[in-house]
Amino acid sequence: MRTRLKDVIESLIFVSLEPLNLEKIKSICTEFADEEIEDAIQELVESYASNDRGIQIIQAAGGYLFSTKSEHDQWVRRLLSLEQTSKLSHAALETLATVAYHQPVTLAEISALRGVDTTYSLKSLLQKKLVKITGRKKSPGRPLIYRTTDRFLTYFGLDSLKDLPSEEEILKILDEENPLD
Amino acid sequence: MEEAIDYQVNLEVFQGPLDLLLFLIRKKKIDIHDIPIATITKEYLDHLDRKEKINLEREGEFLLIAALLIYIKSQMLLPRESELGDEEDPRKILVDRLLDFQKIKAASTLLREKEDQQKKLWKRTASPPIPKQEEVELVEVSLFELAEAFLSLMKRNERENIRLIHGKEYSLEEKMKELIDRLKEHGFLDFCEYFEDQESIEEALISFFCLLELVKARVVIAVQESLFHPIRVWPFQGAQP
Repeated sequence: MRTRLKDVIESLIFVSLEPLNLEKIKSICTEFADEEIEDAIQELVESYASNDRGIQIIQAAGGYLFSTKSEHDQWVRRLLSLEQTSKLSHAALETLATVAYHQPVTLAEISALRGVDTTYSLKSLLQKKLVKITGRKKSPGRPLIYRTTDRFLTYFGLDSLKDLPSEEEILKILDEENPLD
Repeated sequence: MEEAIDYQVNLEVFQGPLDLLLFLIRKKKIDIHDIPIATITKEYLDHLDRKEKINLEREGEFLLIAALLIYIKSQMLLPRESELGDEEDPRKILVDRLLDFQKIKAASTLLREKEDQQKKLWKRTASPPIPKQEEVELVEVSLFELAEAFLSLMKRNERENIRLIHGKEYSLEEKMKELIDRLKEHGFLDFCEYFEDQESIEEALISFFCLLELVKARVVIAVQESLFHPIRVWPFQGAQP
């Protein structure tokens, strides 16, 4: 029975565009006990990790997703005729980092933290669905509150916000840049 | 400052005034917790001076920080009765901001590394063909937009057929009844089609008034999938197909 369930889950992950989380899998595979499902996922992930395959299962935004491996990147790009892959602009990335570490946060707060007006960057991040509006702050003018999205997690390969670079990692970078400090 | 002459730095290079300040602090090998405000202010203003004109919209933020630097300096020059504690150092506001910004910059660097890694992992981006009709989000059309659509429609017709308008009487009540009956029969009506079927401008005008009234009274609702899509009129209850 387990092999079959493993195959079912494999198919589900294959069809999903967004990371498929455990709750979703459970809600689909109602014939199986939760424990069976968890075991099967574990087995599936392990088999992908150990086998010599071009595809792997990654965990992002609390779910499972198929992806190619980084060492095959150049061939994939040849297939897609892509010289380079597009990346976030410096301003957009800095804005995103500000939202990620200071959320929930308003536009005025982001702009103050960065020292520059952030209206445009924030708009482009909203369009890319990397940040979302989650409400209004109970302060004068009732400004909008921004947070990062699940797509943000997937984009950077993070399973949850807890996987953001830690304070120690950040301080380490600063030490390297600023040996005097 | 001989080196400054061949060391031209554009403000554009910097991601903002805090970025410029951090650059100067690093260049001068200054301890961020003990910034000599006079030195750094001079350096900072020198950088601003290299620009002939300051574009207030783009570079106003640089001036804001310049003002902050000068304010801090003035606070430090003020004679005080007692020594200031660490918490009261006028430089604290600036140092806190710089430290926060420095962290954001470092976090950006780390996120950029992650982005680079992730960009090499290719994922599926196209979904299997699923009929998506249910997911279409309809946007309600405002009365103003309705009026606009009506006007452009009438203008279009005006050019197409110049005819004498025959004096035929149309009653608002009859029209309204006709409209509702049509909605009951077809479920919805297409805004453009409906008005193109009207015999005369007078009839179209009356029908349009009916429609506006019905929308206003919330009997019907006018919706479209998105901008430039056909406007459709639904009975209010059945608005969500």
